[in-house]
Amino acid sequence: MEKIIDVINLKKNYGEIEAVKSIDFYVEKGSLFAFLGPNGAGKTTTINILSTLLKQDDGEILIDDLKIGQNDELIRQSIGIVFQEGVLDPLLTVKENLLTRGAFYGFSKEKLKERIEKALSVTGIENLTNRRYGTLSGGQKRRADIARALIHAPKILFLDEPTTGLDPQTRKNVWNTILNLQKQDNMTIFLTTHYMEEADKADYVVIIDNGEVVAKGTPSYLKDEFSNDLLKLKPKDDIKLEEYLKKSQINFVKETDLYTIKINESLASLKIVNDVKDNLLSFQVLNGTLDDAFINITGKEIRE
Amino acid sequence: MILNLVTRNLKLYFRDRASVFFSLLGVIIIVGLYVLFLGKMMVDYSTQLVGESARFLMTSWIVAGVVSVTAITTCNGAFGIMVEDTALNRLRDFKVSPIKRWQLVLGYVLAAMVVALLMTLFTLVLGELYIFLDGGEILGFLSLIKVLGIVLLSVFSSSAFIFLIMAFIKTQNAFGTASSIIGTLIGFLMGIYIPIGNLPTGVQTLIKLFPLSHSGVLLRKTMMNEAMDIELLPEEFKTFLGLTYKLNGEVMGDIYHLLYLFISGLVFYVLAIVIISKKRDK
Repeated sequence: MEKIIDVINLKKNYGEIEAVKSIDFYVEKGSLFAFLGPNGAGKTTTINILSTLLKQDDGEILIDDLKIGQNDELIRQSIGIVFQEGVLDPLLTVKENLLTRGAFYGFSKEKLKERIEKALSVTGIENLTNRRYGTLSGGQKRRADIARALIHAPKILFLDEPTTGLDPQTRKNVWNTILNLQKQDNMTIFLTTHYMEEADKADYVVIIDNGEVVAKGTPSYLKDEFSNDLLKLKPKDDIKLEEYLKKSQINFVKETDLYTIKINESLASLKIVNDVKDNLLSFQVLNGTLDDAFINITGKEIRE
Repeated sequence: MILNLVTRNLKLYFRDRASVFFSLLGVIIIVGLYVLFLGKMMVDYSTQLVGESARFLMTSWIVAGVVSVTAITTCNGAFGIMVEDTALNRLRDFKVSPIKRWQLVLGYVLAAMVVALLMTLFTLVLGELYIFLDGGEILGFLSLIKVLGIVLLSVFSSSAFIFLIMAFIKTQNAFGTASSIIGTLIGFLMGIYIPIGNLPTGVQTLIKLFPLSHSGVLLRKTMMNEAMDIELLPEEFKTFLGLTYKLNGEVMGDIYHLLYLFISGLVFYVLAIVIISKKRDK
Protein backbone atom coordinates (compact mmCIF):
# COMPACT_ATOMS: atom_id res chain seq x y z
CA MET A 1 0.00 0.00 0.00
CA GLU A 2 1.19 3.49 -0.86
CA LYS A 3 -0.25 6.65 0.65
CA ILE A 4 -0.73 9.38 -1.95
CA ILE A 5 -2.46 11.78 0.44
CA ASP A 6 -1.57 11.83 4.10
CA VAL A 7 -3.35 14.24 6.41
CA ILE A 8 -2.04 14.53 9.95
CA ASN A 9 -3.69 16.62 12.65
CA LEU A 10 -5.23 19.12 10.23
CA LYS A 11 -6.85 22.18 11.81
CA LYS A 12 -8.55 25.22 10.34
CA ASN A 13 -10.40 28.00 12.09
CA TYR A 14 -12.41 30.87 10.70
CA GLY A 15 -12.10 33.35 13.52
CA GLU A 16 -13.93 31.77 16.43
CA ILE A 17 -15.39 28.97 14.39
CA GLU A 18 -13.45 25.74 14.23
CA ALA A 19 -14.23 24.48 10.75
CA VAL A 20 -11.83 21.57 10.96
CA LYS A 21 -10.73 20.28 14.37
CA SER A 22 -7.71 18.08 14.08
CA ILE A 23 -8.48 15.43 11.52
CA ASP A 24 -6.29 12.55 10.35
CA PHE A 25 -6.73 10.28 7.37
CA TYR A 26 -4.87 9.01 4.37
CA VAL A 27 -5.73 8.05 0.81
CA GLU A 28 -4.26 5.06 -0.92
CA LYS A 29 -2.73 5.47 -4.33
CA GLY A 30 -5.07 4.48 -7.14
CA SER A 31 -8.10 4.24 -4.90
CA LEU A 32 -11.53 5.80 -5.13
CA PHE A 33 -11.88 7.75 -1.94
CA ALA A 34 -15.19 9.23 -0.79
CA PHE A 35 -15.31 12.08 1.67
CA LEU A 36 -18.75 12.43 3.20
CA GLY A 37 -20.39 14.71 5.67
CA PRO A 38 -23.51 16.81 6.18
CA ASN A 39 -23.49 20.39 4.93
CA GLY A 40 -21.16 22.55 6.98
CA ALA A 41 -19.17 19.58 8.25
CA GLY A 42 -15.90 20.92 6.85
CA LYS A 43 -15.72 18.98 3.57
CA THR A 44 -15.13 21.91 1.28
CA THR A 45 -12.68 23.51 3.70
CA THR A 46 -10.67 20.28 3.73
CA ILE A 47 -10.76 19.92 -0.05
CA ASN A 48 -9.68 23.56 -0.43
CA ILE A 49 -6.72 22.96 1.86
CA LEU A 50 -5.72 19.75 0.10
CA SER A 51 -5.84 21.53 -3.25
CA THR A 52 -3.59 24.41 -2.05
CA LEU A 53 -6.41 26.99 -2.20
CA LEU A 54 -6.49 27.57 1.53
CA LYS A 55 -3.79 27.54 4.20
CA GLN A 56 -4.30 25.28 7.19
CA ASP A 57 -3.78 26.63 10.71
CA ASP A 58 -2.07 23.52 11.94
CA GLY A 59 -1.17 20.03 10.82
CA GLU A 60 0.81 18.46 8.06
CA ILE A 61 -0.36 17.29 4.66
CA LEU A 62 1.63 15.27 2.19
CA ILE A 63 0.44 15.06 -1.39
CA ASP A 64 2.45 12.48 -3.30
CA ASP A 65 5.22 12.92 -0.71
CA LEU A 66 5.27 16.70 -1.18
CA LYS A 67 4.47 18.90 1.77
CA ILE A 68 1.63 21.38 1.32
CA GLY A 69 2.79 24.92 1.98
CA GLN A 70 6.32 24.17 0.81
CA ASN A 71 5.92 22.61 -2.62
CA ASP A 72 2.61 24.06 -3.74
CA GLU A 73 3.81 24.79 -7.25
CA LEU A 74 4.83 21.15 -7.77
CA ILE A 75 1.72 19.82 -6.06
CA ARG A 76 -0.42 21.88 -8.45
CA GLN A 77 1.20 20.01 -11.34
CA SER A 78 -0.02 16.70 -9.98
CA ILE A 79 -3.58 17.50 -8.93
CA GLY A 80 -6.70 18.18 -10.95
CA ILE A 81 -9.84 19.67 -9.44
CA VAL A 82 -13.44 19.65 -10.56
CA PHE A 83 -15.22 22.36 -8.64
CA GLN A 84 -18.83 22.20 -7.58
CA GLU A 85 -19.73 25.13 -9.82
CA GLY A 86 -18.19 25.42 -13.26
CA VAL A 87 -15.06 27.54 -13.51
CA LEU A 88 -14.64 27.65 -17.28
CA ASP A 89 -15.43 30.75 -19.34
CA PRO A 90 -18.96 30.68 -20.78
CA LEU A 91 -18.00 32.91 -23.72
CA LEU A 92 -15.13 30.70 -24.86
CA THR A 93 -15.51 27.41 -26.71
CA VAL A 94 -14.60 24.17 -24.95
CA LYS A 95 -11.38 24.03 -26.95
CA GLU A 96 -10.42 27.63 -26.21
CA ASN A 97 -11.04 26.99 -22.54
CA LEU A 98 -8.85 23.90 -22.54
CA LEU A 99 -6.10 25.67 -24.51
CA THR A 100 -6.07 28.60 -22.08
CA ARG A 101 -5.96 26.50 -18.94
CA GLY A 102 -3.71 23.87 -20.47
CA ALA A 103 -1.05 26.47 -21.23
CA PHE A 104 -0.41 26.83 -17.48
CA TYR A 105 1.35 23.48 -17.34
CA GLY A 106 4.21 24.24 -19.69
CA PHE A 107 3.55 21.67 -22.42
CA SER A 108 4.88 22.13 -25.93
CA LYS A 109 2.26 23.04 -28.52
CA GLU A 110 2.01 19.51 -29.94
CA LYS A 111 2.00 17.92 -26.51
CA LEU A 112 -0.76 20.25 -25.33
CA LYS A 113 -2.84 19.45 -28.38
CA GLU A 114 -2.36 15.75 -27.75
CA ARG A 115 -3.28 16.13 -24.08
CA ILE A 116 -6.43 18.06 -24.93
CA GLU A 117 -7.49 15.43 -27.44
CA LYS A 118 -6.98 12.76 -24.82
CA ALA A 119 -8.96 14.69 -22.22
CA LEU A 120 -11.79 15.24 -24.70
CA SER A 121 -11.96 11.58 -25.68
CA VAL A 122 -11.82 10.31 -22.10
CA THR A 123 -14.78 12.51 -21.20
CA GLY A 124 -16.55 11.80 -24.49
CA ILE A 125 -17.04 15.39 -25.62
CA GLU A 126 -15.00 15.41 -28.85
CA ASN A 127 -18.09 16.58 -30.70
CA LEU A 128 -18.49 19.65 -28.47
CA THR A 129 -15.02 21.18 -28.93
CA ASN A 130 -16.22 24.20 -30.87
CA ARG A 131 -19.30 24.91 -28.82
CA ARG A 132 -19.21 27.75 -26.32
CA TYR A 133 -19.08 26.46 -22.76
CA GLY A 134 -22.00 28.70 -21.79
CA THR A 135 -24.31 26.99 -24.28
CA LEU A 136 -23.71 23.45 -23.00
CA SER A 137 -26.16 21.45 -20.89
CA GLY A 138 -25.41 20.66 -17.26
CA GLY A 139 -23.98 17.23 -17.98
CA GLN A 140 -21.90 18.47 -20.93
CA LYS A 141 -20.53 21.28 -18.78
CA ARG A 142 -19.55 18.84 -16.08
CA ARG A 143 -17.73 16.70 -18.65
CA ALA A 144 -15.89 19.77 -19.92
CA ASP A 145 -14.97 20.59 -16.29
CA ILE A 146 -13.56 17.10 -15.89
CA ALA A 147 -11.69 17.37 -19.20
CA ARG A 148 -10.12 20.59 -17.96
CA ALA A 149 -8.99 18.88 -14.75
CA LEU A 150 -7.43 16.06 -16.78
CA ILE A 151 -5.33 18.10 -19.26
CA HIS A 152 -2.10 17.66 -17.31
CA ALA A 153 -2.74 13.99 -16.48
CA PRO A 154 -2.91 14.59 -12.72
CA LYS A 155 -2.08 11.83 -10.27
CA ILE A 156 -4.97 12.83 -8.06
CA LEU A 157 -8.36 14.06 -9.22
CA PHE A 158 -10.45 15.96 -6.68
CA LEU A 159 -14.16 16.15 -7.41
CA ASP A 160 -16.41 18.28 -5.23
CA GLU A 161 -19.90 16.85 -5.68
CA PRO A 162 -19.37 16.05 -9.35
CA THR A 163 -22.87 14.73 -10.00
CA THR A 164 -25.01 17.12 -7.97
CA GLY A 165 -27.77 18.70 -10.01
CA LEU A 166 -27.53 16.29 -12.94
CA ASP A 167 -30.39 14.12 -14.15
CA PRO A 168 -30.11 10.39 -13.31
CA GLN A 169 -28.97 9.31 -16.78
CA THR A 170 -26.27 12.00 -17.03
CA ARG A 171 -25.24 11.28 -13.48
CA LYS A 172 -24.63 7.68 -14.41
CA ASN A 173 -22.58 8.65 -17.48
CA VAL A 174 -20.43 11.09 -15.57
CA TRP A 175 -20.00 8.54 -12.83
CA ASN A 176 -18.85 5.89 -15.31
CA THR A 177 -16.29 8.30 -16.71
CA ILE A 178 -14.92 8.77 -13.20
CA LEU A 179 -14.80 5.02 -12.55
CA ASN A 180 -12.96 4.45 -15.84
CA LEU A 181 -10.35 7.04 -14.93
CA GLN A 182 -9.64 5.18 -11.74
CA LYS A 183 -9.63 1.69 -13.24
CA GLN A 184 -7.92 2.33 -16.58
CA ASP A 185 -5.56 5.17 -15.77
CA ASN A 186 -5.00 4.16 -12.17
CA MET A 187 -5.78 7.70 -11.09
CA THR A 188 -6.50 8.40 -7.44
CA ILE A 189 -10.00 9.84 -7.12
CA PHE A 190 -10.93 11.97 -4.13
CA LEU A 191 -14.58 12.92 -4.13
CA THR A 192 -17.31 14.36 -2.03
CA THR A 193 -20.84 13.41 -2.90
CA HIS A 194 -24.41 13.64 -1.76
CA TYR A 195 -25.32 10.32 -3.28
CA MET A 196 -24.81 7.29 -1.09
CA GLU A 197 -25.05 4.86 -3.99
CA GLU A 198 -21.94 6.59 -5.34
CA ALA A 199 -20.08 6.50 -2.04
CA ASP A 200 -21.00 2.85 -1.89
CA LYS A 201 -18.74 2.21 -4.89
CA ALA A 202 -15.74 3.83 -3.21
CA ASP A 203 -12.81 1.82 -1.92
CA TYR A 204 -12.71 3.78 1.26
CA VAL A 205 -15.01 6.25 2.96
CA VAL A 206 -14.30 8.91 5.55
CA ILE A 207 -17.24 10.62 7.20
CA ILE A 208 -16.72 13.93 8.93
CA ASP A 209 -19.12 15.93 11.03
CA ASN A 210 -18.59 19.19 12.90
CA GLY A 211 -15.02 19.26 11.69
CA GLU A 212 -14.11 15.84 13.06
CA VAL A 213 -13.71 12.41 11.52
CA VAL A 214 -16.61 10.42 12.94
CA ALA A 215 -16.17 7.17 11.02
CA LYS A 216 -13.95 5.65 8.37
CA GLY A 217 -13.68 2.35 6.61
CA THR A 218 -14.76 0.49 3.53
CA PRO A 219 -18.44 0.88 2.63
CA SER A 220 -19.18 -2.70 3.67
CA TYR A 221 -17.48 -2.20 7.02
CA LEU A 222 -19.49 0.97 7.66
CA LYS A 223 -22.71 -0.76 6.72
CA ASP A 224 -21.97 -3.75 8.93
CA GLU A 225 -20.93 -1.61 11.82
CA PHE A 226 -23.40 1.24 11.70
CA SER A 227 -26.54 0.10 9.97
CA ASN A 228 -29.13 -2.59 10.64
CA ASP A 229 -30.71 -5.00 8.26
CA LEU A 230 -34.47 -4.71 8.18
CA LEU A 231 -37.12 -7.39 8.17
CA LYS A 232 -40.50 -6.37 6.85
CA LEU A 233 -43.50 -8.54 7.55
CA LYS A 234 -47.01 -8.40 6.14
CA PRO A 235 -49.23 -10.60 8.31
CA LYS A 236 -52.70 -12.05 7.75
CA ASP A 237 -53.67 -11.27 11.32
CA ASP A 238 -52.13 -8.14 12.88
CA ILE A 239 -53.05 -8.95 16.45
CA LYS A 240 -51.57 -12.42 16.36
CA LEU A 241 -48.27 -11.09 15.01
CA GLU A 242 -48.11 -8.26 17.55
CA GLU A 243 -48.74 -10.77 20.35
CA TYR A 244 -45.83 -12.89 19.12
CA LEU A 245 -43.47 -9.91 18.75
CA LYS A 246 -44.30 -8.59 22.20
CA LYS A 247 -43.86 -12.00 23.74
CA SER A 248 -40.47 -12.45 22.08
CA GLN A 249 -39.52 -8.87 23.12
CA ILE A 250 -38.84 -7.77 19.56
CA ASN A 251 -39.10 -4.04 18.83
CA PHE A 252 -41.08 -3.13 15.74
CA VAL A 253 -42.52 -0.22 13.83
CA LYS A 254 -45.93 -0.53 12.22
CA GLU A 255 -46.72 1.34 9.01
CA THR A 256 -50.30 0.60 7.87
CA ASP A 257 -50.17 -3.17 7.37
CA LEU A 258 -46.39 -3.52 7.29
CA TYR A 259 -44.24 -4.35 10.33
CA THR A 260 -40.59 -3.33 10.25
CA ILE A 261 -38.08 -4.97 12.57
CA LYS A 262 -34.43 -4.02 12.95
CA ILE A 263 -32.15 -7.02 12.99
CA ASN A 264 -28.40 -7.24 13.41
CA GLU A 265 -27.80 -9.55 10.52
CA SER A 266 -30.04 -10.92 7.84
CA LEU A 267 -29.72 -14.51 9.10
CA ALA A 268 -31.48 -13.52 12.32
CA SER A 269 -34.63 -13.02 10.31
CA LEU A 270 -34.89 -16.75 9.63
CA LYS A 271 -36.05 -17.62 13.13
CA ILE A 272 -38.72 -14.92 13.21
CA VAL A 273 -40.02 -15.78 9.75
CA ASN A 274 -40.07 -19.43 10.69
CA ASP A 275 -42.03 -18.75 13.89
CA VAL A 276 -44.76 -16.72 12.21
CA LYS A 277 -44.79 -18.25 8.72
CA ASP A 278 -48.38 -19.49 9.00
CA ASN A 279 -49.57 -15.96 9.66
CA LEU A 280 -47.62 -14.30 6.81
CA LEU A 281 -48.84 -12.90 3.51
CA SER A 282 -45.33 -11.81 2.52
CA PHE A 283 -41.95 -10.77 3.92
CA GLN A 284 -38.82 -8.90 2.88
CA VAL A 285 -35.26 -8.73 4.21
CA LEU A 286 -33.41 -5.52 3.41
CA ASN A 287 -29.68 -5.10 3.81
CA GLY A 288 -28.49 -2.04 5.66
CA THR A 289 -27.51 0.81 3.41
CA LEU A 290 -24.77 3.39 3.62
CA ASP A 291 -27.58 5.91 3.96
CA ASP A 292 -28.64 4.28 7.25
CA ALA A 293 -25.04 4.09 8.39
CA PHE A 294 -24.61 7.79 7.62
CA ILE A 295 -27.71 8.75 9.53
CA ASN A 296 -26.73 6.57 12.46
CA ILE A 297 -23.24 8.07 12.55
CA THR A 298 -24.07 11.74 12.13
CA GLY A 299 -27.67 11.79 13.28
CA LYS A 300 -28.48 13.75 10.12
CA GLU A 301 -29.71 13.13 6.64
CA ILE A 302 -27.01 13.99 4.14
CA ARG A 303 -29.28 16.10 1.95
CA GLU A 304 -30.18 18.74 4.44
CA MET B 1 1.75 32.17 -20.41
CA ILE B 2 0.88 35.83 -19.89
CA LEU B 3 0.13 36.28 -23.58
CA ASN B 4 -2.24 33.35 -23.23
CA LEU B 5 -4.06 35.04 -20.34
CA VAL B 6 -4.20 38.35 -22.20
CA THR B 7 -5.73 36.61 -25.23
CA ARG B 8 -8.31 34.99 -23.00
CA ASN B 9 -9.25 38.30 -21.37
CA LEU B 10 -9.47 40.07 -24.73
CA LYS B 11 -11.76 37.38 -26.14
CA LEU B 12 -13.96 37.58 -23.07
CA TYR B 13 -14.21 41.38 -23.34
CA PHE B 14 -14.97 41.59 -27.03
CA ARG B 15 -17.40 38.65 -27.04
CA ASP B 16 -19.53 40.28 -24.39
CA ARG B 17 -21.27 42.77 -26.67
CA ALA B 18 -23.29 44.32 -23.87
CA SER B 19 -20.21 45.11 -21.81
CA VAL B 20 -18.47 46.65 -24.83
CA PHE B 21 -21.52 48.83 -25.38
CA PHE B 22 -21.76 49.86 -21.75
CA SER B 23 -18.09 50.68 -21.55
CA LEU B 24 -18.74 53.15 -24.37
CA LEU B 25 -21.91 54.51 -22.78
CA GLY B 26 -20.17 57.51 -21.22
CA VAL B 27 -18.83 58.41 -24.65
CA ILE B 28 -22.21 57.98 -26.30
CA ILE B 29 -23.79 60.27 -23.70
CA ILE B 30 -21.18 62.96 -24.37
CA VAL B 31 -21.62 62.77 -28.12
CA GLY B 32 -25.41 62.83 -27.67
CA LEU B 33 -25.28 65.89 -25.42
CA TYR B 34 -22.95 67.70 -27.79
CA VAL B 35 -24.91 66.94 -30.92
CA LEU B 36 -28.24 67.80 -29.28
CA PHE B 37 -27.53 71.15 -27.63
CA LEU B 38 -24.09 71.74 -26.12
CA GLY B 39 -22.49 71.89 -29.55
CA LYS B 40 -24.58 74.66 -31.00
CA MET B 41 -24.26 76.73 -27.83
CA MET B 42 -20.50 76.44 -27.84
CA VAL B 43 -20.06 77.05 -31.55
CA ASP B 44 -22.26 80.16 -31.31
CA TYR B 45 -20.25 81.39 -28.37
CA SER B 46 -16.85 80.86 -29.99
CA THR B 47 -17.89 82.22 -33.39
CA GLN B 48 -17.90 85.65 -31.80
CA LEU B 49 -14.23 85.16 -30.98
CA VAL B 50 -12.73 83.25 -33.88
CA GLY B 51 -15.25 83.50 -36.69
CA GLU B 52 -15.13 80.90 -39.50
CA SER B 53 -13.08 78.16 -37.87
CA ALA B 54 -15.27 78.01 -34.74
CA ARG B 55 -17.07 74.89 -35.87
CA PHE B 56 -13.91 72.92 -36.66
CA LEU B 57 -12.35 74.17 -33.44
CA MET B 58 -15.24 73.07 -31.25
CA THR B 59 -15.66 69.71 -32.97
CA SER B 60 -11.98 69.07 -32.28
CA TRP B 61 -12.60 70.10 -28.68
CA ILE B 62 -15.32 67.50 -28.20
CA VAL B 63 -13.51 64.75 -30.12
CA ALA B 64 -10.42 65.29 -27.94
CA GLY B 65 -12.62 64.97 -24.86
CA VAL B 66 -14.33 61.85 -26.13
CA VAL B 67 -11.01 60.18 -26.96
CA SER B 68 -9.64 60.87 -23.47
CA VAL B 69 -12.80 59.51 -21.82
CA THR B 70 -12.84 56.34 -23.93
CA ALA B 71 -9.52 55.24 -22.48
CA ILE B 72 -11.00 55.35 -18.99
CA THR B 73 -14.42 53.79 -19.51
CA THR B 74 -13.16 50.94 -21.68
CA CYS B 75 -10.42 50.12 -19.18
CA ASN B 76 -13.19 49.92 -16.63
CA GLY B 77 -15.10 47.49 -18.84
CA ALA B 78 -12.04 45.32 -19.35
CA PHE B 79 -11.30 45.11 -15.63
CA GLY B 80 -14.82 43.77 -15.25
CA ILE B 81 -13.36 40.39 -16.20
CA MET B 82 -11.09 40.47 -13.16
CA VAL B 83 -14.03 41.27 -10.88
CA GLU B 84 -16.17 38.57 -12.48
CA ASP B 85 -13.44 35.96 -12.07
CA THR B 86 -13.23 36.78 -8.37
CA ALA B 87 -16.95 37.13 -7.74
CA LEU B 88 -17.94 33.94 -9.58
CA ASN B 89 -15.09 31.96 -8.04
CA ARG B 90 -13.52 31.28 -11.43
CA LEU B 91 -10.29 32.52 -9.91
CA ARG B 92 -10.01 29.27 -7.98
CA ASP B 93 -9.20 27.39 -11.14
CA PHE B 94 -6.24 29.71 -11.72
CA LYS B 95 -5.17 29.44 -8.11
CA VAL B 96 -4.91 25.66 -8.25
CA SER B 97 -2.87 25.85 -11.45
CA PRO B 98 0.89 26.22 -11.48
CA ILE B 99 0.90 29.91 -12.41
CA LYS B 100 2.07 32.80 -10.31
CA ARG B 101 -0.35 35.32 -8.93
CA TRP B 102 1.52 38.24 -10.53
CA GLN B 103 1.24 36.61 -13.95
CA LEU B 104 -2.51 36.42 -13.53
CA VAL B 105 -2.78 40.06 -12.45
CA LEU B 106 -0.48 41.22 -15.23
CA GLY B 107 -2.76 39.36 -17.64
CA TYR B 108 -5.72 41.50 -16.55
CA VAL B 109 -3.76 44.75 -16.63
CA LEU B 110 -2.24 44.19 -20.06
CA ALA B 111 -5.59 43.11 -21.47
CA ALA B 112 -7.19 46.28 -20.08
CA MET B 113 -4.45 48.37 -21.71
CA VAL B 114 -4.90 46.64 -25.05
CA VAL B 115 -8.68 47.05 -24.87
CA ALA B 116 -8.35 50.73 -23.97
CA LEU B 117 -5.82 51.33 -26.72
CA LEU B 118 -7.89 49.60 -29.41
CA MET B 119 -11.12 51.26 -28.36
CA THR B 120 -9.49 54.68 -28.08
CA LEU B 121 -7.97 54.37 -31.54
CA PHE B 122 -11.35 53.24 -32.84
CA THR B 123 -12.98 56.31 -31.27
CA LEU B 124 -10.23 58.51 -32.69
CA VAL B 125 -10.86 57.20 -36.19
CA LEU B 126 -14.61 57.78 -35.83
CA GLY B 127 -13.95 61.23 -34.38
CA GLU B 128 -11.66 62.19 -37.25
CA LEU B 129 -14.24 60.93 -39.70
CA TYR B 130 -16.85 63.10 -38.00
CA ILE B 131 -14.57 66.14 -38.13
CA PHE B 132 -13.91 65.49 -41.80
CA LEU B 133 -17.58 65.06 -42.68
CA ASP B 134 -18.38 68.19 -40.67
CA GLY B 135 -16.11 70.21 -42.93
CA GLY B 136 -12.89 70.02 -40.92
CA GLU B 137 -9.57 68.44 -41.77
CA ILE B 138 -7.98 65.16 -40.75
CA LEU B 139 -5.01 65.30 -38.35
CA GLY B 140 -1.67 65.99 -39.98
CA PHE B 141 1.11 63.40 -39.65
CA LEU B 142 3.05 65.10 -36.85
CA SER B 143 -0.08 65.85 -34.85
CA LEU B 144 -1.18 62.27 -35.33
CA ILE B 145 2.09 61.00 -33.85
CA LYS B 146 1.65 63.42 -30.96
CA VAL B 147 -1.95 62.29 -30.40
CA LEU B 148 -0.89 58.64 -30.43
CA GLY B 149 1.78 59.36 -27.85
CA ILE B 150 -0.71 61.10 -25.60
CA VAL B 151 -3.18 58.26 -26.08
CA LEU B 152 -0.54 55.73 -24.99
CA LEU B 153 0.25 57.70 -21.88
CA SER B 154 -3.42 58.25 -21.13
CA VAL B 155 -4.08 54.51 -21.50
CA PHE B 156 -1.29 53.84 -19.01
CA SER B 157 -2.65 56.28 -16.45
CA SER B 158 -6.29 55.33 -16.99
CA SER B 159 -5.58 51.65 -16.48
CA ALA B 160 -3.68 52.50 -13.30
CA PHE B 161 -6.56 54.60 -11.99
CA ILE B 162 -9.20 51.96 -12.75
CA PHE B 163 -6.97 49.16 -11.47
CA LEU B 164 -6.70 50.98 -8.14
CA ILE B 165 -10.48 51.27 -7.88
CA MET B 166 -10.93 47.61 -8.84
CA ALA B 167 -8.55 46.54 -6.09
CA PHE B 168 -11.35 47.41 -3.65
CA ILE B 169 -14.16 45.75 -5.56
CA LYS B 170 -15.17 42.18 -4.87
CA THR B 171 -18.71 41.73 -6.14
CA GLN B 172 -20.39 42.25 -9.48
CA ASN B 173 -22.91 44.50 -7.80
CA ALA B 174 -20.18 46.77 -6.54
CA PHE B 175 -18.62 46.72 -9.99
CA GLY B 176 -21.90 47.72 -11.63
CA THR B 177 -22.34 50.59 -9.22
CA ALA B 178 -18.75 51.75 -9.63
CA SER B 179 -19.07 51.58 -13.41
CA SER B 180 -22.21 53.71 -13.49
CA ILE B 181 -20.63 56.27 -11.17
CA ILE B 182 -17.44 56.38 -13.23
CA GLY B 183 -19.43 56.50 -16.47
CA THR B 184 -21.46 59.51 -15.38
CA LEU B 185 -18.94 61.42 -13.29
CA ILE B 186 -16.11 61.09 -15.76
CA GLY B 187 -17.68 63.58 -18.16
CA PHE B 188 -17.61 66.20 -15.41
CA LEU B 189 -14.22 65.22 -14.02
CA MET B 190 -12.67 65.53 -17.45
CA GLY B 191 -14.35 68.88 -18.02
CA ILE B 192 -16.38 67.76 -21.02
CA TYR B 193 -20.08 67.85 -20.14
CA ILE B 194 -19.64 71.44 -19.17
CA PRO B 195 -16.53 73.48 -20.02
CA ILE B 196 -14.39 73.83 -16.93
CA GLY B 197 -14.79 77.63 -16.99
CA ASN B 198 -18.52 77.32 -16.27
CA LEU B 199 -17.92 75.45 -13.02
CA PRO B 200 -17.37 76.83 -9.51
CA THR B 201 -13.73 77.27 -8.43
CA GLY B 202 -13.83 74.33 -6.04
CA VAL B 203 -14.90 71.95 -8.79
CA GLN B 204 -12.32 73.46 -11.13
CA THR B 205 -9.60 72.62 -8.59
CA LEU B 206 -10.95 69.10 -8.28
CA ILE B 207 -10.80 68.65 -12.05
CA LYS B 208 -7.25 70.00 -12.19
CA LEU B 209 -6.25 67.58 -9.43
CA PHE B 210 -7.78 64.66 -11.31
CA PRO B 211 -4.74 63.32 -13.17
CA LEU B 212 -6.60 61.93 -16.17
CA SER B 213 -8.07 65.31 -17.03
CA HIS B 214 -4.55 66.33 -18.03
CA SER B 215 -4.64 63.89 -20.93
CA GLY B 216 -7.76 65.79 -22.05
CA VAL B 217 -5.82 69.05 -21.92
CA LEU B 218 -2.97 67.66 -24.02
CA LEU B 219 -5.32 66.12 -26.58
CA ARG B 220 -7.31 69.35 -26.90
CA LYS B 221 -4.17 71.37 -27.44
CA THR B 222 -2.95 69.09 -30.19
CA MET B 223 -6.24 68.50 -31.95
CA MET B 224 -7.62 72.05 -31.75
CA ASN B 225 -4.36 73.37 -33.10
CA GLU B 226 -5.36 71.73 -36.38
CA ALA B 227 -8.30 74.11 -36.67
CA MET B 228 -6.29 77.24 -35.92
CA ASP B 229 -3.17 78.37 -34.14
CA ILE B 230 -4.34 78.13 -30.54
CA GLU B 231 -1.68 80.60 -29.44
CA LEU B 232 -3.84 83.25 -31.07
CA LEU B 233 -6.81 82.44 -28.85
CA PRO B 234 -7.45 84.75 -25.93
CA GLU B 235 -6.01 83.44 -22.65
CA GLU B 236 -9.42 83.63 -20.97
CA PHE B 237 -11.03 81.51 -23.67
CA LYS B 238 -8.33 78.85 -23.36
CA THR B 239 -8.75 78.46 -19.61
CA PHE B 240 -12.52 78.47 -20.04
CA LEU B 241 -12.36 75.47 -22.38
CA GLY B 242 -9.69 73.64 -20.41
CA LEU B 243 -7.09 74.11 -23.11
CA THR B 244 -4.70 75.28 -20.46
CA TYR B 245 -4.72 74.96 -16.69
CA LYS B 246 -3.59 77.85 -14.58
CA LEU B 247 -1.85 77.17 -11.30
CA ASN B 248 -1.51 80.22 -9.06
CA GLY B 249 -2.01 82.41 -12.11
CA GLU B 250 0.76 80.65 -14.07
CA VAL B 251 -0.05 78.62 -17.18
CA MET B 252 0.94 74.97 -16.72
CA GLY B 253 3.46 73.76 -19.32
CA ASP B 254 3.03 70.61 -21.41
CA ILE B 255 5.88 68.84 -19.70
CA TYR B 256 4.08 69.17 -16.33
CA HIS B 257 0.90 67.72 -17.76
CA LEU B 258 2.91 64.77 -19.08
CA LEU B 259 4.80 64.27 -15.82
CA TYR B 260 1.65 64.52 -13.72
CA LEU B 261 -0.06 61.89 -15.88
CA PHE B 262 2.91 59.55 -15.80
CA ILE B 263 3.75 59.87 -12.11
CA SER B 264 0.13 59.54 -10.98
CA GLY B 265 -0.09 56.39 -13.11
CA LEU B 266 2.94 54.94 -11.39
CA VAL B 267 1.63 55.84 -7.95
CA PHE B 268 -1.79 54.29 -8.67
CA TYR B 269 -0.15 51.09 -9.85
CA VAL B 270 2.05 50.83 -6.77
CA LEU B 271 -0.93 51.49 -4.48
CA ALA B 272 -3.09 48.93 -6.28
CA ILE B 273 -0.38 46.28 -6.11
CA VAL B 274 0.14 46.92 -2.39
CA ILE B 275 -3.60 46.59 -1.74
CA ILE B 276 -3.96 43.44 -3.81
CA SER B 277 -1.01 41.69 -2.19
CA LYS B 278 -2.29 42.60 1.27
CA LYS B 279 -5.60 41.01 0.41
CA ARG B 280 -3.91 37.81 -0.67
CA ASP B 281 -2.22 37.36 2.70
CA LYS B 282 -5.56 37.12 4.47
